[in-house]
Amino acid sequence: MNPRRLRALISRVVAEIRRDRPSLALLFIAPVVITGLLTFILREGDTPDVSVALANEASGPAAIVGTALTTTLEDEGITVSDVPDEGTARARVEAETDSLAIVLPPDLASGGQITMITLGLDPGGEAAQLGVVREAVSTAVAGVTGARVPVVVRETIYGTGSDDPMVAFAPAIVAFFIYFFVYLLTGVSFLRERTGGTLERLMATPVTRGEIVSGYTLGFGLFAMIQVAVLLAWALGTIHVPAIGPLPEFAIGLGIPVVGSPLLAYLVVVVLALGAVSLGIFLSTFARTELQVIQFIPIVLVPQFLLSGVLFPVNSLPEILQPLVVIMPLGYAVDALRLVFIAGADLASAALRWDIAVLAVVAVGFAFVASRTIRREVV
Amino acid sequence: MTTSSVPEATGGPEVASRKGDVAAAVRAVGLVKRFGALAAVDGMTFDLAPGRIYGLLGPNGSGKTTLIRLLTGMALATEGHAEVLGVRMPSRQTLARIGYMTQSDGIYPALTVGENARFFAAAYGADTGPSVTAALELVELADRAKTITGTLSGGQRRRLSLACALVHRPAVLFLDEPTVGVDPLLRVQFWGHFRALADGGATIVMSSHVMDEADRCDELLFVRAGRVIARGTGAELRAQAGMDDLEAAFLAFAGDGEVAA
Repeated sequence: MNPRRLRALISRVVAEIRRDRPSLALLFIAPVVITGLLTFILREGDTPDVSVALANEASGPAAIVGTALTTTLEDEGITVSDVPDEGTARARVEAETDSLAIVLPPDLASGGQITMITLGLDPGGEAAQLGVVREAVSTAVAGVTGARVPVVVRETIYGTGSDDPMVAFAPAIVAFFIYFFVYLLTGVSFLRERTGGTLERLMATPVTRGEIVSGYTLGFGLFAMIQVAVLLAWALGTIHVPAIGPLPEFAIGLGIPVVGSPLLAYLVVVVLALGAVSLGIFLSTFARTELQVIQFIPIVLVPQFLLSGVLFPVNSLPEILQPLVVIMPLGYAVDALRLVFIAGADLASAALRWDIAVLAVVAVGFAFVASRTIRREVV
Repeated sequence: MTTSSVPEATGGPEVASRKGDVAAAVRAVGLVKRFGALAAVDGMTFDLAPGRIYGLLGPNGSGKTTLIRLLTGMALATEGHAEVLGVRMPSRQTLARIGYMTQSDGIYPALTVGENARFFAAAYGADTGPSVTAALELVELADRAKTITGTLSGGQRRRLSLACALVHRPAVLFLDEPTVGVDPLLRVQFWGHFRALADGGATIVMSSHVMDEADRCDELLFVRAGRVIARGTGAELRAQAGMDDLEAAFLAFAGDGEVAA
């Protein structure tokens, strides 16, 4: 490894990115905007607008459940329309006059089923509505029968005790975006090197493959380090800006509470990003055009997204997929970041050390494999 | 990284003769390069003397680029071997004394002219000061050193590409179709540079499929279907073929070549 050549390679990579404004925007602005949007959606998401068509077919004393249910739902701010029968209720849901129909059966008193009917076009949104209504139904029934519904309180071993949904989500999102953007930029720029004839020319100099991969890793690694710092500062920090003139006071940053050391989180993400550089170089071997680098995303990145606990908990995944989970680098980063963010783990934690070790091995291993791909293009 | 084990037969005597042998700057010994069933280079043996300009002439697909890639060590020979400055290729150390201008410009569009030249100077292990200035002055781009390469004209990019190939003052310069897309005026300038470099002792090997500029080379190698079918100065080749122009001479040799094959 010749230090002068390595320095030349690094400063070349840095100069190229620095002049590439769209890529800089992609690196720094895109993750900030997306995490901001996501946080806003998760935190400020409103209870969906629910309006209920209630068909109370129950007779006798059980009919009071209908009245109680109407009161409970209206207390929650939900519109309730009484309709004579199930057919009318269904028609109103179908016509989208109401979002949900509740049918109390004639045999309610003797254990008949309460039916909830929705349109069925938006499973996610309807599930959220059902949750609201189900709670109201049990409250109403309890009120009528005189039973008490116990209040359930949730506690966790780890965590800040806040019910901020971003606490669990942020580690995964930070890791994924860094991985995604670093892969994309390295893949595309190394492909340009291969197709633009500069790699051929570079290989006709005494520069070694190891120097090229190291130059790329350190050059892109530098930007990845800045990117990670910006994104972590944005996600974890909060800067309160006081009201100035007509502007109301506001805060910059998502202020996601973190128990552990942000520096340790930084280390984890940087090691992950170095692995993404090598992955980009490696996969650019198999691409002929920049579009094909993008086409690798569904094959390489989406499975990582699905199998690394970003959206779905790893232990809820089907048994048959578990061996794949073990080989997903992103999964180790997500796990490590959750340990740091939520459990406040430090380097004394064996689980965290293991995660970081795997990420480091993946980064070094892929760098080696990537360097092997360089002289191979003998046309 | 070594070539196949086949043609070691000539290795012994050559090693012995190499010490005093400054006659050959570039040497091909039974070079063969096959891609599957296709032999892009199909048995070439020749010596090229230092300080001369050699033209590899032949139609597209005749094996010129593959030959240059074998000579520079960019491709591995299926059989035989190449030597540059007495060293068997591929040799990373020897690359520091070789300049290689690829068919595509092979320069970084996002970098400035000066950054491109300094980058290749550093890659070759040359100084990034006077050598870079000299190379850019040679191709008359010194005043554009701060210009972003992507904004240059095609001819200017070609000139920068040449500057990047000779920024380290190589002893052997391989130029793959250096004058493609170059306007006639610039072509004359290029030839001025090539002649000056050769006069300074550099060996220049260039490929071309343009016959009219071939006469400026000291010696020509007619390449067809992966073989050297004739070699000599332009005048010699015309005389041998009994033709008035090189194109006709090439076709005459090519016709013979087909009969021979």
